[in-house]
This record gives sequence, C-alpha cells and structure tokens, in this order.
Amino acid sequence: MNEALETAKNCRHYAMCKIDFLGSGICASGPEKQYVSYYPQGRMDLYAALAEQKISVTEKCVEIADSCDLCGKCDYQCCFVTEMRPSRVMKALKDHVARHIAAGGPVEKAADDLLLRQIREITSDEWATNDRAIAVTYAHDPCALAVLKMPAYVVLPRTREEISALMRLLRQHDIPWVVRANGTNLLGFHLCEGVVIDLNRMKDMVFDEKNWSVKIGPGVAAFDLQRAAVQRGYRVNVAEAAALVCGSMMSSGILSLFSAAYGTSADNFIDAEFVAPDGSCFSLNEKDAPNLFAFSKSGRQTPGICTAIRAKLHPMTDDEAGVLVPFQTLAEALDFAGNCATRRIGLAIGVLGAEYVSAFIAPTRQLAAEAREIFESRLGIACMVLVIGDRYALRSIKDMGHPVIDQRLFTALSLGLPSLKTANWLDLITELSAGDPFSYLKIKGFAELAETALAPSPARLAQETPRELRGFYEQLYARPEMTNLLWLNMFRITSTRVGRAKHFFPLLMYLPLEYSLISTLNDGFSRIGERHELKHEFGFVTPVDGGKRCIYEYDYFYDQNNRDDIARVQRATMEAGALIDEHSAREGTIRWLKHLLFQGYCRKENLLYA
Amino acid sequence: MTDTNTQTYVLTGATGFLGSHLLDALLQRGNRVVVLGRSSASESLAARIDKLQAWFDLRGRSGQIETAEVDFLKPLCGLDPKTYRALCKKAGTLIHCASDTRFSERNRRESTATNVDSLEQIIGFAKDSNAPWFHYISTAYAAGIASGHCPEAPVASERFVNVYEETKARAELEVALHCTKGAIPFTIIRPSIVYGDSRSGRANCFNALYNHVRSLYYIREIYRKDIHEHGGRKSREYGIYQEDSDILHIPLKIAVAHNGAINLIPIDYFVSATLSILTHAQTGTYYHITSDNPKTVKDIASYCEAFLNIRGIEVVYGIAPDTPLNPPEALFNRFIEPYLPYLSDTRMFARSNTDAATAGLIPPEFTYDIFQRCMEYAVGANWGK
Repeated sequence: MNEALETAKNCRHYAMCKIDFLGSGICASGPEKQYVSYYPQGRMDLYAALAEQKISVTEKCVEIADSCDLCGKCDYQCCFVTEMRPSRVMKALKDHVARHIAAGGPVEKAADDLLLRQIREITSDEWATNDRAIAVTYAHDPCALAVLKMPAYVVLPRTREEISALMRLLRQHDIPWVVRANGTNLLGFHLCEGVVIDLNRMKDMVFDEKNWSVKIGPGVAAFDLQRAAVQRGYRVNVAEAAALVCGSMMSSGILSLFSAAYGTSADNFIDAEFVAPDGSCFSLNEKDAPNLFAFSKSGRQTPGICTAIRAKLHPMTDDEAGVLVPFQTLAEALDFAGNCATRRIGLAIGVLGAEYVSAFIAPTRQLAAEAREIFESRLGIACMVLVIGDRYALRSIKDMGHPVIDQRLFTALSLGLPSLKTANWLDLITELSAGDPFSYLKIKGFAELAETALAPSPARLAQETPRELRGFYEQLYARPEMTNLLWLNMFRITSTRVGRAKHFFPLLMYLPLEYSLISTLNDGFSRIGERHELKHEFGFVTPVDGGKRCIYEYDYFYDQNNRDDIARVQRATMEAGALIDEHSAREGTIRWLKHLLFQGYCRKENLLYA
Repeated sequence: MTDTNTQTYVLTGATGFLGSHLLDALLQRGNRVVVLGRSSASESLAARIDKLQAWFDLRGRSGQIETAEVDFLKPLCGLDPKTYRALCKKAGTLIHCASDTRFSERNRRESTATNVDSLEQIIGFAKDSNAPWFHYISTAYAAGIASGHCPEAPVASERFVNVYEETKARAELEVALHCTKGAIPFTIIRPSIVYGDSRSGRANCFNALYNHVRSLYYIREIYRKDIHEHGGRKSREYGIYQEDSDILHIPLKIAVAHNGAINLIPIDYFVSATLSILTHAQTGTYYHITSDNPKTVKDIASYCEAFLNIRGIEVVYGIAPDTPLNPPEALFNRFIEPYLPYLSDTRMFARSNTDAATAGLIPPEFTYDIFQRCMEYAVGANWGK
C-alpha cells in the first residue's frame, strides 16, 4: 500500500480538521462548501475510495480535488493529533484526478432523480447531492461496529423549517435517514443507505447572558462554542473539541471532567428544540412535549433531530488553575477523587490512567511512550487525578496533604519532556521518597529545580517533532495555553490523542464510585483484552453528583484497517458487554452508555438512580 | 562453641547487602548454605541468588547452596509439611539477616511484619531443625534514643528515631525471649551503618551514605548542565557558579541538631567480624560491630566536596537558618531528613564483647581514600541502576 493510501485509510474521523483548534487556520474550502468531502477528512476517504477503485471520478470529485490548494494546514492539525500528514493524501488525490483527466478518462455526472429534485426544492440545489464522490465520504466510520453503507443522498439543511419539510418528505417516501455529527459515532450508528443529514451549516450561536445561556445550532462544535463563551467570560460543559454539542447531547449527554461540578445529561441545558420524525416541531420546555427527561434502560427510538439547544453558561473566576495529583494505586486515586467530589472541591475532577496522561501531554507517540514508562516505572505513578478549581479549591487540596504537580511544574514537564528520559535524578527522588510517595513534590522550589534540570522550552520540545514542522511546533508550544491544564481541559484539544497510534473502542458507563466494583470491571476488561490480544487500557473516572456516581471508561485499541483486529475487538466488545450486563443486573446501579443512545437529554437522576 | 567449614548455615536476607556478603564469605570458606527467602516480582529466589553468585564470582560453588522459597508470615514458613520437614533435616546454624530497613512510619505494618511478626516462624524453624545457633543481625541503633554510652546489652530505651529502630529493638527482645525459652543458643549482632569494601570499593547496594553523595552528584550534574548548556541563568539566581578551576560552587547549608558523628563501617569488616563472632560466640551475648572513630558530618561534607569537585557546603548546628532554602538546598535537605539523627549522633557503642570475639579486629578509619574508592565504584556502577 502506498504511503498516501495508508494515511488516507487511517483517517480516524475525529474531525479535528473541521475546527481551528490550533489557531493555524482550517482548509478554506470546508467552511465554503460545508460538505465533509471538502475538508481534509473527506478528501482522505475520497482518495482511498478512488485508489481502491470503489468509485469513479465524478464532477464533484474533480471539484473537491481542485478545491485543495495544498496549503498544508491539515498537516499541522492532523499531525498534532495523530502524527499523520494528510497533505500527502491531498496531493495524491489531485494527482489522481489530474492523471485521469489528462488520460481522457470520463467524469461522471450524477443522475438527477425525483427525490433529489424534491429535496433540493427544500434546501436549494447546492445543499443536496447524490454525487458518489460526496456520498462516499459519508459512507464509513473506523468504529469496529460500523458497517459500510453508501448513502443515496447527502443533505445539508440550514434551518429548522427545512429539516421539518425534509422529515415530512422522507416519511412520505419511506426513506431511511440518519443525522451526521462531526466525527465518529461511538457505536457506528450514523451510517445509512438512505439520506445522511449533515447539520454542518447550522452553526448559529446566540448568547443570552441575562439568562446564563447560549442558544446554539446543531452544527456548533464544542471548541467553537467554548471559544465564544470564554471570550464573553463564561464556560460551557462540552465534550471533545470537534464533537458537535447537540450531537453529544443526543447520543450520550456531555461526558467531561467538568461534569463533576456541572453535572451530566439534562443538567447541561435549559431547553432543546426538535423536529420529530413526522416533521412536527417541539421544545422540551413545552407542556405537551415528549418526555425526553425520562430514562429507560431498554433504550428508545430517536426523538427526531435536535435543531437547537440552550446550553448553560457557567461563571469563571480569574484564579482558576489545574493540578495533577499522582497516586501509586487506583484505589487511592478513586478515594481522593470521591473525597473531592463529596466535599465539592474543584470544578473538574478526573482520575486519569497513565496512558491518557502520557498521550495528552506528548506531541509524539515516541515521547508519549517514554513519558508513560517514566511515570509508571520510574516515578511509580499508576494514575493521576486532575483537579481544576479556584484558589480555594486548590488550597483545600493542599490542606488535604497531597503532593501535587502544579501548573508551573506541569509546564516544565510538558516542555521538558525530551529531557525526562535522561534525568537520572528521577530514580533518586523516587527512592528517597519511598516512605512518603511523591513527597518531593512538596519541596519548596521543586518546580524551579525541575525547570533547571529539564531546561524546558518550546524549541527543545519541537526538536522531537517532524523536521519540516518544527518551526510550527515551536511557535505553537510558545503559547501558554498549550501547556495550561485549565485551558487544555476546557477546550479538550488533546483528548483525541488517545487514538494517535490506533483507533479505540471505548467502554463507557455510569456506576457507583467504588473501588471494588471498578477494580472488578477493570480486571474483567483487562482479561478480555488479553484474551483477544488487544491493547487495552483503563481510561478515566470522573465523579458525578457529589461522588455518588462516576463516569468510567475503559478502552480497546485496534487497527481500523485490519480485519482480524476488527473481528477481535468485536468479540471483545461483546464479551465486555456481557460482563457489564452481568454486573449491571447484579448491582442495579450500572448504566452502560449503549443504553443512553438518544437519551442524553434525560434527567441525571432518572439516569443514575431511577 | 565453634563452627567448622563443613557446617551448614541457614541464611535469611541473602539477597540484601549484608546477607549477600555473608553468603559469599560462608561459601568461600566451604560452608553449605541453605538460603531461605522470597522471589521478587520478576525473579525466583534461585535466579536472584544466581545473579549474586555471578557478582561475587562464586562460579563452581553452586553445589554448596540450596534455596527455598518461604513465607515467614505463614505456618510452616508457607511450605507443605513434607517439604518443611525435609528442609529442617538439611538445616544448621541460622543467621537471620532479613530485614525491612525502611524508616518511614507509613511502612509500619510491613516493617513490623518483616522485622517482628516473622520471628515466630523463623525461630520455630530453628527449633524444629535443632539449629545449634541462632544469630540475629540487628543494628547498633536498636539502642534507640540515647546519648553517650550504649552497652552491648539488651535494649533499655523505649524511644526510637524511627520505625526501623523500634522494630529491630522489638525483634531483639523476641529473639532473646524465645531462643531462651526454646533453649536455642543465640547472639545479637549489631552493626552500625555499613558501606562498601574498604579495599576495593566494591558494593552491590548503594543506600545510606551513598544516597547523600548521589544526591549531591545529581544536583551538581543539574547545575553544571545549566551552566554549560543553557547559559546558567538559573544557577546565577542562587549563587551557583563555576569557579576557575572547574569547581562548582553550590551554596548548600546542611542543618544538623548538634555536633556529632556518623558511625560507619565497611562491609569487609562487618563480614570478618561476624565470621569471627560466629566462631567464638557466647550465647545470649550482644556484639556491636561499630567504629570507635566515627567521622563528623563536616568530615563527610569535605569528602563530598573533594570527590565531586564542588564547594559551598556549610554545616550549621542547632536551629535551621531563617533564610529560605534555595532549590538544591531544599532538595538535599529533604533527602537527608530521615537520616539527620545519624548525622549528628552522639552515641558511643561499647564493643568489649566484639573485641573479645574478634581478637581485636577493628574497622579501618574511614579516610578520604576509602571514601573515594567506594564512591568511584558507585559512580562506575551507576549507583546500582
């Protein structure tokens, strides 16, 4: 397989190329044309389909290839997350199409049909298509449970009224449809052979500061909403940077470390508007609206398409910061996180596995592997608890007596990461603090000493990145927010690095914040992972509702292009699901995310306790 | 009672610093040794002993060693009755060297388990195997918080610097009580702080004194690098600079309670003295394997300066200075904190029993030459990493 095709087939569909999360700009044709096909992610899929002769060159294919000016912005974005270089694929796509045309190859024109004409009457011609080059970019997902489905049509409505009309039309013709969010779907449920409705054009944001809310369209991504909110001095509780806020809400509710303070599911919005499958419209605050605040463990059908939500705005104070509290055991970390939650200390709380912490802070997988080895083997850190809070919260943590990696030390570690592996003194501080683990972190001036020893600098860190991107990385890491725990956890631009080496299947659930239960599940998932020869890792735990419950994630990693890997992760997932169901039946307190699909608008209390 | 080179010894703690050197010495003189111990997380006991044999160059003596993986916190040492009985038949004089040497209160439960609770099984094994002797390797610091003269006698103090001293003192009492009850002849052997071989500098464990030097070694490396590779801005902030003669000046105050000394003996002396005590042991007797000429912390500081090419270490007595500590000072002082009582020790250890049993064998004076030899070896061995 050539390098470009391999890169193209490894696109993770994280949609990070659709948001300007690095401030380096995004592919210009994306916002102009709106279809995912005109973003680097779509071009990756398109090139793979062309190279493997799954589709022919079409009019849109030529247009998509032409719309790339090889600016290289996608390299910055994708390399930051996955270390892949999409510009090679963009070039290969352009070359492929150019060669085809130069050789006198045909350029297919998509055939017109009645339904398309009717859809276009609703959306206008530009925003509905049956061109295969566009359809193919909506046809698959790296999720191991996803089955490739080529949609007949892709539609990009602009308004609630257009969606309503579209729903009526599709019902009239009995055409299946799915709504497309920004990237992947946890369970691969956004593929359909009928109509894919992409809400990318619906990016309205209207702030109502008097009522501490912002009304957003379903095309608004978490990063963009957070940026707009922060500019006004507020914070919203959102999922990963590229995730669409309404989509996250629909499929799972908002899962974030800030859920420790801001709650989950219905805690995060004031109202939501929908278009039902029959085309009727309703808002959750209407008396006669369907009761989406309820939760049923047996699941529910889609209530329709969420066309807007009024998300809650939360205040920020100027003394907020983050700390990482290291622990030798998961039991201690869970105890601490639960204690913080019960005492309402901190805004965001998360127990992070060594894999997560390493992946988040390291710009390359090599550095991430080294960081993990150092954290686990040399420093004896099994996991860390991240706490974001104001000065009073951080003082409370200090009063609790735990050694912490504060912001200053975190910056030194992040920018000094390349020096860590040769820092022999790390072994000594670990050995000499064995009686009181991590107590060296309490030494006055330790952060300063670390700065001296590690000589952290953006330039030094950039040396570890690809040669031609070093200048970019040096400028990027010179920006304080790139090593700021608070900023990074609000904007969540590094979350997707977990899938840098391989895509992953997350097992996510709500359950009591109890070590014995979490440990039992951890062990069970681990055994399943081992049995199926999959890389597997504990992900994170975030307390919710004052620590009475928590969100827990465990991940299986797999090669998204390897059939054997996919088969093994499918089997592992089934076994893990059986394990969850078994414990769920026994405990009565576990809610697997699978059950939450289309129910993310429910009341937290109904979800967790009913 | 005297032993012979055909005698069989049972040794615990053989993978530790003192135990491994005793194992080497016993094998060298032709004894058979049954090593009782545990596997590590990654290696069996036999593999650990094999490694030691390689380090001591004991190839060809494998026939003299037998290993048995045991758990002294379980009945019959964690063995099935048949294996236990078979092991008893092979046993001989027991040297109990295994110890949890950690100082931290946090490890009290583990320290107590290893140092005290395990004795029931170990002494039981000595009894069941009709061991002719039970030699307990304790520490001179089991004397507890005391000043001045410490006799070679049962522990009188009830106050201790740390959980290590306390559990070793408790263990001594248990050994004396139960060996007496069981009519097992016993000795209590109390070494002070042990460093490497005074003649070759060799060591296979680099704790205690080595940690202090290693701390300074790394601190020096950090600031040298800062000066040579990064312009030395951080160093200048704290008055750290390179003198003309390649000497690094690091202002580093070490605050100790009062003037005192560090009682250090080399491993070669510990081994010679212990073997001699085994040969001339008197039951119920306590032996201090200590130095009558301990060095002061200032002596050791000057050794460190000379060895590491640094200047600026200042030892202050009494209350710690009011001035805030600079980062290297804070780090170093944090590291030596658990050891502070041993840096200004005023205890003098009687050693008439030892002198009698060892025919006047005394430890060599801890000179700079010996210090240098040992530290050069440690650096060459990358501090055992």
